[in-house]
Amino acid sequence: MTSLALRYVLLAAAVLVLNFLLPRLLPGDPLAATAEGGLSGALPALTSQQQAQLRVTYHLDQPLASQFASYVVDLARGDLGWSISRAAPVSQLIGERIPWTLSLVLTAVVIAATSGAALGLVAAWRGGHWDQALVGVCTAVAALPEFLVATLLLLALSIGLHWFPLQGGETLFAPPGQAWLATLGDRIVHLALPAASLVVANLAAFVLLSRGAIRGVLAEPYLATARAKGLGEWRVALRHATPNALLPVLTLFGMRLGQVLGGAIVVERVFAIPGLGLFAFQAIQARDYPVLQAIFLVSSLTVLLANFLVELAHRRLEPRRYAA
Amino acid sequence: MRPDSRGLALAVLGLLIAAALSAPLIAPYDPALPVGLPLKPPGPDHLLGTNDLGQDVWSQWLWGSRASLLIAVVVTLLSTGLSWTIGLSAAMWRSGEAALTGLTDLLLALPAIPLYLLVVALIGPSQVHLMLALGLLSWPAFARVVRARLLAVRSEPYVEAARVLGASPMRVAVYHVAPATLELLPAKLVLTVRFAIFAEATLAFLGLGDPAARSWGTMLSWAFSNPLAFVNGSWTWWVLPPALAIVAAVLSTTWLSIGEDRDPAGRRADQSGLRWPRWRTARTAAGVSPG
Repeated sequence: MTSLALRYVLLAAAVLVLNFLLPRLLPGDPLAATAEGGLSGALPALTSQQQAQLRVTYHLDQPLASQFASYVVDLARGDLGWSISRAAPVSQLIGERIPWTLSLVLTAVVIAATSGAALGLVAAWRGGHWDQALVGVCTAVAALPEFLVATLLLLALSIGLHWFPLQGGETLFAPPGQAWLATLGDRIVHLALPAASLVVANLAAFVLLSRGAIRGVLAEPYLATARAKGLGEWRVALRHATPNALLPVLTLFGMRLGQVLGGAIVVERVFAIPGLGLFAFQAIQARDYPVLQAIFLVSSLTVLLANFLVELAHRRLEPRRYAA
Repeated sequence: MRPDSRGLALAVLGLLIAAALSAPLIAPYDPALPVGLPLKPPGPDHLLGTNDLGQDVWSQWLWGSRASLLIAVVVTLLSTGLSWTIGLSAAMWRSGEAALTGLTDLLLALPAIPLYLLVVALIGPSQVHLMLALGLLSWPAFARVVRARLLAVRSEPYVEAARVLGASPMRVAVYHVAPATLELLPAKLVLTVRFAIFAEATLAFLGLGDPAARSWGTMLSWAFSNPLAFVNGSWTWWVLPPALAIVAAVLSTTWLSIGEDRDPAGRRADQSGLRWPRWRTARTAAGVSPG
């Protein structure tokens, strides 16, 4: 347990160092880019005096070690820097957007994992045509990139059938004094299609994985024992086969959950959900490096946290392997 | 999967590769030049019509296939090579083990898309940068799998025997140990081809593609940035070809690998001597059980 925690603390430290070094090691210089008028041509050119001033502002004129020290001190105070494009603290901007992304992706990954595991169980248990049909559909769906799924859903259900709103996380200019229930309903309607896109994009992996895991235990003698005891087929499937096949599904769940903050960027972009993903997209358009760096840091640490939780869960679910 | 569907998959993949290779020969127009009226439907002059700038979609698609498949091939080779080199070294080279597994764990913990966004935003979008970034950052998962497989093999008696007979560590690693990982190769190839094609298209869709280069992804992102495409119906000849090409390329590589799929349940049943007819298990047993 302590060694596990220690390993993750080390990994988190490595992520901090990487986040500090990456922009400094890679070729390319944001200030040089602004001097040429910006990569997109949209940024104002800076005089050499302004550039020198910016170098001082960002401590870029100091040795690497003291740059790193001030970076760590700033982080410890929760200071992620100042957004160039929004003229506001990055930590505040990110804090406003995390709930959107978190609620969207959490819902989608939970739905995808549970329904995917259930479908995988059906495919493995029933076999034959069910299996072939489910595997066929899953392979086909897995061949669609996320942005195509999202765009197809948007075209068909929002533009074609008008069932869902076109974009945004909630109705702008909602009537004042709206009941919280109505606000909640409004948000659910807005998040339905983005969540559905994420479910479709994630479902196939869960189905195929749980199908494989269940097929792996189909021939185990303990299932024969369970049947010999006279247990019903449902009980054998759900109580005896499924728990033994759940570990890989749990692992995948943790991995997908870890991609929470990064994975939603495409869907948030298509549906204009005001979450972290859309923010990352806007930061790229504006070459807002402090924001990009902060999003990278926050999402890396989320992945680490998710992995850590999955490993803890593994230890609880399978104590045999870790007993020593 | 039945042999006929593998044949179909091979045919589709072969056609895409042939189109990519012969693009300079058979593309009727320069994909970058406006050569006709904007948004012309498909016809004899322009097989797949023209886009909003009057560029020939068929020529763009041919040149785009070239770029997209080239990215897929380079990324897959680079990433697979790194996975195996690092997985093999981490398993067989004791003094480098800690550093290599640490690096693998670290890269595995980094979220893919935000990392690419940061890297591509810093080094600038170009096809070469894209290939390098995707290839250099996508190897850790399989390096770990390869290493795990080798840990089981490296102390097998036949490996010990080779060592005792005086085989050099390199020879042991490459000739005696590495073949145990070959059955992982098809899965790695398919997953990486899919990953590279998706990543290229997705990054282009997010506006991080090389605007000057023509690929399936940049074609799609250009079309999607023009809201008219979906109103006047021009998407049928402008958006569908690159989108279908992505789906066809990924599906056909997946099909090829499913042909390699072995039946884990069947194999297990053989080993334990207990053979449940797989597709009947549930129903037969339900008939027997009183509940």
